[in-house]
Amino acid sequence: MTLLAEIALVVLAAVAVTIGVALLPKPVRTIHGRRAPVSASRPEQLIRLERLVGMSATDTLQAHAYLRPLLVEISQRRLAASGRSLEQMSDADGARLLGDRLWDLVRPNRPFPEDRDAPGIAPRELARMLEVLERL
Amino acid sequence: MNTSLSPRVAGLLTVAGTGAVAGLATGRPELVVLATPFLLLVAAGLALAVPPRLVIELELTRERLLEGDQTRVTATIRNEHDSGLELELALERSARLAVEPAEPIMLRLGPREQTSVEFTAAPLRWGVHTVGPLALSTRDPLGITLARARLGAQLTLRVFPREQQLRQLVAPSRTQPFVGSHVARGRGDGIEFADLRPFTSGDRVRQVNWRASARRQTLYVTERHPEHASDVVLLLDTFAEARAGATGTLDAAVRATATLARAHLARRDRVALVDFGATLQWLGPAFGTTQLYRIVDALLASEIAFSYAWRAVESIPRRVLPPAALILAVTALLDERSVRLVSELRRRGADVTVVEVSPLDYTPPGHGLTDAAAYRLWRLEREAIRARLQSLGIGVAVWDEKSALGPALEEVNAFRRSARHVLSA
Repeated sequence: MTLLAEIALVVLAAVAVTIGVALLPKPVRTIHGRRAPVSASRPEQLIRLERLVGMSATDTLQAHAYLRPLLVEISQRRLAASGRSLEQMSDADGARLLGDRLWDLVRPNRPFPEDRDAPGIAPRELARMLEVLERL
Repeated sequence: MNTSLSPRVAGLLTVAGTGAVAGLATGRPELVVLATPFLLLVAAGLALAVPPRLVIELELTRERLLEGDQTRVTATIRNEHDSGLELELALERSARLAVEPAEPIMLRLGPREQTSVEFTAAPLRWGVHTVGPLALSTRDPLGITLARARLGAQLTLRVFPREQQLRQLVAPSRTQPFVGSHVARGRGDGIEFADLRPFTSGDRVRQVNWRASARRQTLYVTERHPEHASDVVLLLDTFAEARAGATGTLDAAVRATATLARAHLARRDRVALVDFGATLQWLGPAFGTTQLYRIVDALLASEIAFSYAWRAVESIPRRVLPPAALILAVTALLDERSVRLVSELRRRGADVTVVEVSPLDYTPPGHGLTDAAAYRLWRLEREAIRARLQSLGIGVAVWDEKSALGPALEEVNAFRRSARHVLSA
């Protein structure tokens, strides 16, 4: 009689636990509409310049070979608006108008840097040159 | 339907297994008895699970929209089974299509019952969008199995770009011998006064300017400029774009192209379209409303695709670039290939104008000294590119989407008037 009561108690407990588990709230939000990621793309033109400015800061060759032609073109275009050109400027005029460092970089026939290990143009220095160009 | 076991099955089996092992280890059968109902629950769940039979129909209230509009999507769900079921459903959405409600909807369907659910689809930009299918999920009554499916048709929703009103267009430097709305440079029948000249044999009496003739005591005739149509080629650059989230330069460029196409066709010009990018697509020049629909339809498929392919002027079929056509290149000037193309067209004597969709609004400056300097350099480089194009006689209208296109085109007209000697070269 005691054994039967024990068995009944265990079975009742098992049924109660099972019913409890079955009644647990079902997890919601099991599905979602698929959504493609929203893209944000920076122009390759800008990324290239970011790379160039970074490399020109440490490598004088990069600054001479890649940054200089760009600064020359920008200077030419901005000077042309006021009827001037880099080719016709004397060293004194160029240095006065563009500042020593920028003029040294964009002056015509600038020789290839002899010291290949020399540092390039730091971003802070480049920012100062750009300020001059923006003011032209 | 893709059926799988619900995550709770693992828990039930773990409890049952633990009970059975503990019962064996300790030699107490009560533990095994305690574990058995869990197994029975899983078994009952598997036995009761029948694959749901559902019929889904999706319907759009409107299949064609203008940007900014939205449409209702009605989903009709019919339970073909003799037992009821509980459903969670959501409408598939994409980065360019917002759907309301975005969260899954819970639904209970009785046996053979049918119900309808309404969603709102709001496209974020122009294009051909796909609406649907429905993502569904349902469980058996005991929550042991989980059935998932994507049901219902994929509906196509065409969203046309919103256009601006244009009063002023780029005046073509040369016109075609068709009747149109542009004042031609030549002399002929028209309204616009051109000049006075002495009467010669063959002149019609109605051309005689009696006031001038009376003053000069000899017959003078009035010459007029005829109104002619022009050929306009819209060149859409799809090489590269700047994008910030759901908007980008291509979106704006397509809107500008559609605006220009409608405005020129309304003035009885022949308009052609060239989608110039990784893939080259074109529509030959034609007049009228049909051409407008063709152009807008072609624009909806415009996409930026990455490519290293170099494209020159020769890759554009000759019949798409009629002689003496006005070429309006709508570009963000972000790719050297586009800059080269418009320069090359100009060098070959074409009348080219660039509508530059400014990428600055979509590209914030980076952080740090290097990125800030690069950003300033980029702006200066873009100015230099613009100056290079202008030195060739190409008018550049810089336009950002927040402003009207008309004033930008008016600036180009002013440039073209001052650079007429270059343009006529």
